[in-house]
Amino acid sequence: MNLALRLARREMRSGLGGFRLFIACLAVGVGAIAAILSFSRAVEEGVRADSREILGGDVSISVLYREATPDQMAFLNRQGTLTRWVDSRAMAHPVKEGGHPTLVQLKAVEGAYPLYGKMELRGGGSLAEALAKRDGVWGAVVEEAALKRMNIALGDLVKVGEATVQVRALIAREPDSGLNAFASLGPRLMMSFDALEESALVQPGSLLSWQYRLRLPPGASDTAAVEAIREHYPREGWRVQSLADAGGGIRFWLDRLTQFLGLIGLSSLLVGGVGVGNSVSSFLATRQRTIATMKCLGAPERLIFTTYLLQLGALALLGIAIGVAVGVALPFVAQTAIADLLPVRARIALYLRPILVAAGFGVLVALLFALVPLMQARVVPAATLMRGAVVPQRTRWWRWQRLGWRDAAVLAVVAMALAAFTVFTAVERRIGAWFVLGSVAAFLAFPALAQGVMLAAARAGKPRFAALRLALANLHRPGAPTPVVMLSLGLGLTVLVATALIQGNLRDQITSRIPKDAPAFFFVDIQSNQIDAFEKAIAAVPGADALDKVPSLRGRIVKIGGTPVGEMIVPSNARWAIDGDRGVTYASTPPEGAQIVAGQWWPPDYRGPQLVSFDEGLAEAFHIGVGDTITVNVLGRDVDARIASLRRIVWQTLALNFVFVFSPGTLDKAPHTYLATVKATPAAEDEIFKVITDRFPNVTVVRIRDAIQTASDVLGNIELATRAIGLLSILAGVLVLAGAMLATQRRRVHEAVVMKVLGATRARIAGIFAWEFAALGLATALAAIGVGTLAAWLVVRRLMHLEWTFLPGVAIAVALGAMALTLAFGLAGTLAALRQRPLALLRNE
Amino acid sequence: MASDAGTVNILRGVSLDVAAGEIAAVVGPSGAGKSSLMMIVGALERATSGRVEVAGRDLGPLDDDARARLRRDNVGIVFQGFHLIPTMTALENVALPLEFAGRADAFDTARTALERVGLGPRLGHYPAQLSGGEQQRVAVARAFVGRPKLLLADEPTGNLDGATGKQVMDLLFDLARAEGATLILITHDMALAGRCDRIVHVADGLVVSDERPQALAAQ
Repeated sequence: MNLALRLARREMRSGLGGFRLFIACLAVGVGAIAAILSFSRAVEEGVRADSREILGGDVSISVLYREATPDQMAFLNRQGTLTRWVDSRAMAHPVKEGGHPTLVQLKAVEGAYPLYGKMELRGGGSLAEALAKRDGVWGAVVEEAALKRMNIALGDLVKVGEATVQVRALIAREPDSGLNAFASLGPRLMMSFDALEESALVQPGSLLSWQYRLRLPPGASDTAAVEAIREHYPREGWRVQSLADAGGGIRFWLDRLTQFLGLIGLSSLLVGGVGVGNSVSSFLATRQRTIATMKCLGAPERLIFTTYLLQLGALALLGIAIGVAVGVALPFVAQTAIADLLPVRARIALYLRPILVAAGFGVLVALLFALVPLMQARVVPAATLMRGAVVPQRTRWWRWQRLGWRDAAVLAVVAMALAAFTVFTAVERRIGAWFVLGSVAAFLAFPALAQGVMLAAARAGKPRFAALRLALANLHRPGAPTPVVMLSLGLGLTVLVATALIQGNLRDQITSRIPKDAPAFFFVDIQSNQIDAFEKAIAAVPGADALDKVPSLRGRIVKIGGTPVGEMIVPSNARWAIDGDRGVTYASTPPEGAQIVAGQWWPPDYRGPQLVSFDEGLAEAFHIGVGDTITVNVLGRDVDARIASLRRIVWQTLALNFVFVFSPGTLDKAPHTYLATVKATPAAEDEIFKVITDRFPNVTVVRIRDAIQTASDVLGNIELATRAIGLLSILAGVLVLAGAMLATQRRRVHEAVVMKVLGATRARIAGIFAWEFAALGLATALAAIGVGTLAAWLVVRRLMHLEWTFLPGVAIAVALGAMALTLAFGLAGTLAALRQRPLALLRNE
Repeated sequence: MASDAGTVNILRGVSLDVAAGEIAAVVGPSGAGKSSLMMIVGALERATSGRVEVAGRDLGPLDDDARARLRRDNVGIVFQGFHLIPTMTALENVALPLEFAGRADAFDTARTALERVGLGPRLGHYPAQLSGGEQQRVAVARAFVGRPKLLLADEPTGNLDGATGKQVMDLLFDLARAEGATLILITHDMALAGRCDRIVHVADGLVVSDERPQALAAQ
């Protein structure tokens, strides 16, 4: 070992020059992983540290549609300090001329709000003061965007329902806003709970979310309190959460985003691994004579292996250290830029686990990819010294057939360790496992595809065009860079294609899949006594279609097939249907475009026992079907209904649709509001918006176009992050590509000089290389498009269960990009080759 | 010649005229300027002053590409180090200059040339799969395949053993005579030089003597 160390140290005297690529490849991948994990951890720590603020209390209770009864309030009050608020979408109507009615996310709070943290207003001042009634007018505070959208200034009056409020301050920070970060369609408007009561927005069945928060006495356990509440009110459909659940939504997104970005980071490290392997083999190729000399002098194979392993290990650690340093520094640098995008305060610091995980990946990848050339170097025969130096180095790291079974076993152990590390550090092991399988497949696919391309080039015959013929021949000759370019650039491009296609499909779900004849508006909370006037108002606008309206009530599933839902095991993807209230409606005829997949719709004049038409997917999840009974609690009354039919609901049509559609007879007597949609020409949209917001201030108007834009913006931010990380894998690929080109550069210069001697002009030589690189780039792009599309298809169809569309734009962009990259790198080397003067190369040695 | 260390005068006033069909040897000690002379005659380097004419054309005004075309059509070169392209088969190496000339029969002609040098069975072999003598025979076939007017050979047997070297030289002389090509042979080997029509001695960048062995023998 000592001797190996001494030899390794002597070997490193020649400097790091040849290892820049080796170090860079590791640093890029390790840096990406360290940065993603550190940042994610910082956000997680932020959520944990501020969990009381984010939850809004020690215990949170949310109820859709229904206010807690005085009894329930009394019970909650006994647990600790209680505050409540209402969260809802609402229209805010500026009173002054020229103001624009705007959809806002209303929050009506009591004096004790917030129980934890501080509501910060721009320019200071307290929330209570800002919301208080002054000269008979309630106050409100808003996010800055609300001012812009409403076209008003601070001090202006705004009508919310029937209440008039004065906008007095801008919100700088809302401690528990994290909850709405991904769900709100409009900017925040906050006013007092008492003002809400004046607004008349609270009507039976109004789409309001009632929020209750408890601050427990010191020493009281939040989980015990949650248990007590759940035990006391098991059937209320309350969502009761303890501190551990704080920021659940944020964590859900964070975990998924971390997983997604982390795997892309790992992909770039794997791409870098190819570079590591190439660098090590080119380095060891230059050491063949040294190794042979050492062997002649009596060095055993083990000594040679250990010497170079030590040397490469030291260099790998350097690369990993650089990556970790950059990775943990990045969140500090990016802190201010990203702070506004985050719903919580990230606690950016040095965290050990992200560093260890990133370094662990670095070590395993470096080891895996460096081992093969190291093992091959060990067996370099001493007789190499006796032969001429003209034998080209034809073994590349993936040609491992020369390795013995023991070497293969060591490789398998390292590969499995890397796979296990990937799976066990993944947020979802299943996804980690799929990633491992995908990577293995890609690493097998690209060399195989490269062989295919080489075979095809060899079989392509001899085109009459000489430059093309020579270019094709260059693709399949021994030592051709085809496999290494296809693998290095191909893997990076595959990551890019796959992420771009997945994102494109997600975006497609939101935008392009919205049918052309989708409604222009959703109207929420139209009161029964308004519906006729509402319908007439719409009909009077030219360009507006007839109003599509449905009565809307709230109901909660309490029993399925006679079994209380609390006693049933419900799959996670169907839990939403039994968590709290859902919208229910009744109808004598099927909804427009309904697809009845089982059973039959009731006759239009049906007045018999209660029937219901139910969602096909949920019925499957609940293991029930036509003829079974489902019990729904509507306005405090349990309604038993027999399932008469199952419908396939395509939510993307944006038509009004309900999980439950009851037969008429019982529910039509209960108090209810209406939901409505209207289709309209783009020109009519503004007029409809104006008419409705003017005449029906209590009705919430959601413009579909805006809703799509909001969702699209959220996706845009995620795409930006993904694309930034995805580009890292291209960077890694480009590094490897540059290395691969450099490795063949000597050969290219020699070829260029010999061709010059044989009478080829510069243009002709450049042409031959250009054809070669363009063909190589195209072949790589096609392979990457194929593999990337397959990966994206699997993710979109099998993991996300979404519709799939192939996006040719992505493919064309990737193909052109790949050709441009290979051409640029290849021709840069070629120009250098063309400038080479022949004398130095052709002189006799 | 311009170099990092300043201008170096490698050839200083060489005046040499080799007639069509003549076989001339250039001999002299290492560093005398033999290879430089060949590079200049082969239009691979430019003379800083003076006039060089190959196949009736003045090389002075020709740019790099015009020189490449001149080589393609008129000059064949054989190096001591063979300089075959290691990733191309023997056949591909030989066909290359014809391909550059846009000849449709490049591969057929190359095959004939290789058969002529006795490598018919080795067409698909890569240089690394051939012995030194075979590699040099491929290089000779490549130099001759375009029927050049001028053939330059720089120590063509320097990397070969005596017997193999003799075979290659016999081939070279036979082909040159059969084709009527001018051959300029750079060598250290006086016995080899003695087989040429003419021996030019170069030393320190100058032609120090220019003799005809037959004339010497006659004396």
